[in-house]
Amino acid sequence: MVTKRYHVASVAPTTQTPTDQSVTTTTTQHATIPFRKQLKDEARKRKADTASRRRKEDNPKLNRWELTVGIEIHAQLNTARKLFSGAASTINDEPNTHVAHFDLAMPGSQPIFRKATLLPAIRAALALNCKIQRRSKFDRKHYFHWDQPAGYQITQYYEPFAKEGHITLYAHDGIAEEDGEQITIGIKQIQMEQDTAKTLSQPGDIHLLDYNRVGLPLIEIITLPQIHHPATAAALVRKVQVILNAVDACVLGMESGGLRADVNVSVRRRDGDVGDHEYGGVKGLGQRTEIKNLSSFKSVKDAIVAERDRQIDVLESGGLIEGETRGWTIGSTETRRLRGKEGEVDYRYMPDPDLGAVIIGDDLIDYLSQNLGVLPEQEVQALVGEFGLTFKDAASVVSLNDGGRYEYLRSVIDDFLLLSPDDDLKRVGKLCGNWVLHEMGGLTHPGADEDNPLGMANDGNCIIPHNQLAKLVYLLDIRKITGKSAKRILSELFVSGLAGNQRSTEDLVDEAGLWFSPLSNAEYEGLARSVIDLKVVEEILAGKEGKINFLVGKMMRKDGDGRVDPQKATAILRQIIDEFRKL
Amino acid sequence: MSISICSSCRAAFRQAIRSRPHSSIRSYSQPTDIAALLSKPTWSVRSLLPDPSSVSTDEITPKQLHHLLRLSALPLPKSPEEEAEMLKTLHSQLHFVKDIQKVDTEGVEPLQSIRDETEEGVKAATIGLAEMARALKKEDITGRSRRPRRRRDEVLNREPYEDWDVMGTASEKVETPGGSFFVVRSGKENEKLP
Repeated sequence: MVTKRYHVASVAPTTQTPTDQSVTTTTTQHATIPFRKQLKDEARKRKADTASRRRKEDNPKLNRWELTVGIEIHAQLNTARKLFSGAASTINDEPNTHVAHFDLAMPGSQPIFRKATLLPAIRAALALNCKIQRRSKFDRKHYFHWDQPAGYQITQYYEPFAKEGHITLYAHDGIAEEDGEQITIGIKQIQMEQDTAKTLSQPGDIHLLDYNRVGLPLIEIITLPQIHHPATAAALVRKVQVILNAVDACVLGMESGGLRADVNVSVRRRDGDVGDHEYGGVKGLGQRTEIKNLSSFKSVKDAIVAERDRQIDVLESGGLIEGETRGWTIGSTETRRLRGKEGEVDYRYMPDPDLGAVIIGDDLIDYLSQNLGVLPEQEVQALVGEFGLTFKDAASVVSLNDGGRYEYLRSVIDDFLLLSPDDDLKRVGKLCGNWVLHEMGGLTHPGADEDNPLGMANDGNCIIPHNQLAKLVYLLDIRKITGKSAKRILSELFVSGLAGNQRSTEDLVDEAGLWFSPLSNAEYEGLARSVIDLKVVEEILAGKEGKINFLVGKMMRKDGDGRVDPQKATAILRQIIDEFRKL
Repeated sequence: MSISICSSCRAAFRQAIRSRPHSSIRSYSQPTDIAALLSKPTWSVRSLLPDPSSVSTDEITPKQLHHLLRLSALPLPKSPEEEAEMLKTLHSQLHFVKDIQKVDTEGVEPLQSIRDETEEGVKAATIGLAEMARALKKEDITGRSRRPRRRRDEVLNREPYEDWDVMGTASEKVETPGGSFFVVRSGKENEKLP
């Protein structure tokens, strides 16, 4: 059942004239909202309304047709050596330097199953809630290609090592709105198989081959055709990548070619005849086509949209969909045919007689499932439930630096709580979260590593020690430094950290002389009088209380150092304005 | 010496003997004259060959033959005579295979490879926690979330796996600043390497 998701409501707009600032009553914490913000909120809501209206109008076809998608993900397993040979598994080493006899199918060479592969394989399957099969076997899938010397790929067609799993996706994972708060997609099976060699195609039909990659262990994850919206499909692939990375099963992502997706797309009428195709027990489907080798999350979404629309157009104009294989290039508007039905390959699957069955002990499965570690979804729920982050921010935190950012944030929160015991966890979490995710996230430097300027390791240590950051946030919180100063000190911490010279926050504040000294009453008064505008005062005296904020804002801007406390400023202003009243 | 044959094999053997037109095992009461028994063959492999004069039923069409040849990356026949010869050979091979298929294998799991399937054999082949101890030692558990992380600093020894002349197996290769590659041509013969 689809539960409706409610957007966080922006302030309900009322018609405004520019000189009018009405008090809106729907917000909770502030009595008034600055006018600039109100205009922005209105504009944003207007944009969102037209976008969702456009989505429904633009595609009335979607009211007649239902899309169904099944996904097959191939991911490289994180192992030291290959699946059936002892050659080392490498990513960018010199070509053709890690090739064993069996990888080149030299006559007389035999496959020897390397059991270390089971570690990442079983972890991946457990993280995707699959049932590990005690006994599984290897089969040969025959086809000829220069990137596969044996003439067959060793895979697990008949008896894969894991079956019947599922993955749950939530709204914060970026699923389609139509899928509501959460959706669970079934996983039919996960199998181990060999990777092929790397081909570098040159002009003139020449291909350069690097056989380092042939024989590397892959897992293929096959979902059930239970996905009905393109955004959800992309979200699934993304989440699978995050999960596989978290359990150290597959550490290369789509960007580096370590994870590839094939999608199967079909459509059927919402009313009237259901299709007569089925897959994995899901019945009533239309004829599907397969789109191979999608290499980014965005292409997954775009290719599905393009293929869905193409199929609907064909069917609505009376044609038939052929079961074919199609390709997608980034930037296209339509998929293109790669292989038709007559080019369908007969793989002649056959159990591999050179290999015995893989028999997995229950004690190993139990041990691995108990020691999988905390999964990203649990981390997100903790950050939101205990530490007050938004789902969006929490999802960002857990996806950064291979889990390192999350560890760092937790350390910062712990250090902060040492400085401020019994503080409200949610308040502290939100405060630290903002600094760790947004403020630190914005730090760059020409001398810093492009992909990881903070040098954040997956154990949660980076060039800015977490206790120093906690100290910085604490000093700001107790108003010993201003917000502006805090950002400056953060920069200093970053730069000195880059130079390998870690300084303490307090030393840096000392050096820069940024300890906050509050304004005296006399200074407040002086500042207040300097921004007094008689016209505005009249309006305030006439009853337009909200206008006082305008003056407070002027004071803060004039001061420029962030030393003005709005409450104190308001009080001083009232005093002064009352003087006018008496006149 | 007693040999125990499973019931289905025993049934098949009995059936094979009964269907032999030249079976001469008729009576069991007379003392067996071994020499006489062995002088006449009771069965000939020739029975597995099709009658040369019989018309080959169209079990394999030329279209199917071509499909099979393409799947096996074998060259297509160059003349109708060669094709006819191929079809004839295939026909006789299928006749033989059909005879094997007459054996009743209901409920028998196909043999995949000859392995020790006794309880002890399966136990020995089971990959449990003990067998994975070495691999588990090569990782660390990191962070609050207790995640496993394989250590990447291990220097793997190349021999005996990688220490051989890989490029020597290439019929065509090329050296680039990035390393050596095998060369495969999918186009015309006389393209030059860039």
